[in-house]
Amino acid sequence: MEQIIITLVLISLGYFFGRHAEKRHYKSIIQREQTMNALPAIASRIPPSDGYYQQTLVSGNVVIANDYFKTFAAGLRNLFGGKVSSYESLLDRGRREALLRMKKEAQDLNAQLVFNVKYETASISKGNNNKMPMIEVLAYGTALNKI
Amino acid sequence: MYSNPNIPEDINTSKEHPLKEFSVLLIGALVLLVTATIVLGFLGGWLAGKIPFSVEVKITNLYEVPEKEVSSQQQKVQVYLQNLADKIQKTQQMPAEMKITVHYLSGDTLNAFATLGGHVILYRGLLEKMSSENALTMLLAHEIAHVKYRHPIKSLGRGVAASIAISAISGSVDSTALGEAGLLTTLKYTREMEQQSDVEAMHTLNTIYGHIGGGSDLFKEFQKMRDKEDMPEAPAFLSSHPLDQDRIDHFETIANKQHWKLTGKLTPLPAVFNSITHH
Repeated sequence: MEQIIITLVLISLGYFFGRHAEKRHYKSIIQREQTMNALPAIASRIPPSDGYYQQTLVSGNVVIANDYFKTFAAGLRNLFGGKVSSYESLLDRGRREALLRMKKEAQDLNAQLVFNVKYETASISKGNNNKMPMIEVLAYGTALNKI
Repeated sequence: MYSNPNIPEDINTSKEHPLKEFSVLLIGALVLLVTATIVLGFLGGWLAGKIPFSVEVKITNLYEVPEKEVSSQQQKVQVYLQNLADKIQKTQQMPAEMKITVHYLSGDTLNAFATLGGHVILYRGLLEKMSSENALTMLLAHEIAHVKYRHPIKSLGRGVAASIAISAISGSVDSTALGEAGLLTTLKYTREMEQQSDVEAMHTLNTIYGHIGGGSDLFKEFQKMRDKEDMPEAPAFLSSHPLDQDRIDHFETIANKQHWKLTGKLTPLPAVFNSITHH
């Protein structure tokens, strides 16, 4: 019985804190994306051919942990199968935050463009069932400065 | 030439409220858990009932507890209880290989139970509450009927199968809490088992004494004990023993149906019994 109560408390704490943190994070992401739009990051592997550029590797890295509520919901989803929507926003936030951090590095270099942008994701808690799922997202690309 | 548009917000993530999905999943999981527990538990109990009694005895003999030194008074009570059990066993027409072994324990615990291998355990605490031999026979016959109908092994089989179902489901969700919720559905003996034993015990009582007087004293005693301890009865759904009042009513309904006499001359308990129980 205590186990049920403890779990219910953890789920509600996870729900309220996790949701609050996610809302705040999204707000910050959307706001920063708008200001960073001046510096485009593209996936194309072909650099612009209108002159000479200084090329620098830039990267952005982020680690995000899941909250208890989302982990529990995903566990329930495990029984029935289907879209794990509780993890979707976690990965979405991870990718966008990593790209923003990469852009920040490029911006500090006064770059005009980041090209050949790629993503890598990794699960830090991989294989450990007792641990909250944690993901790492890495975005990297080549920043260009016109010479 | 190069540009990044604003990222649309509803493509990569779901806009549905997380609690909606969560409640649907949770209800689904609980329904699955309860169904699996009941179905597998039922199958487990059914299969366990097919285990021959001789095998059950062999298994329990592996865990034989060494006999403790007991006073001669206690020994006499033990012999008396064993003789009563043998008489009940004959009355219940149990197969000869089903040997009932009575164990008298001098603890204060208000309990008596039948377990695997035909062992019936009686505590002094509960025996003290017996008003007559008739009430004691009702108690002992009830426990012996559990053995006759293989209830201990059936409930063990049920419990094992149910806990496998629970751990399989709660393991895949990674939650022990879900497992505990499932455990609420597995109880020691089912109410049907208790009722079956009650009816068998009444039958025994009637055959031995010619009436079933004193039989319901047992339930009335339970009711009194619960009142005194200020311990409210668990709701019928959760408790394995039918509610005391339900049992008393059931007792009378069955008696009327079978045309058994509800009252008659009560046989007192032997002196040796009283000497050890009433200090």
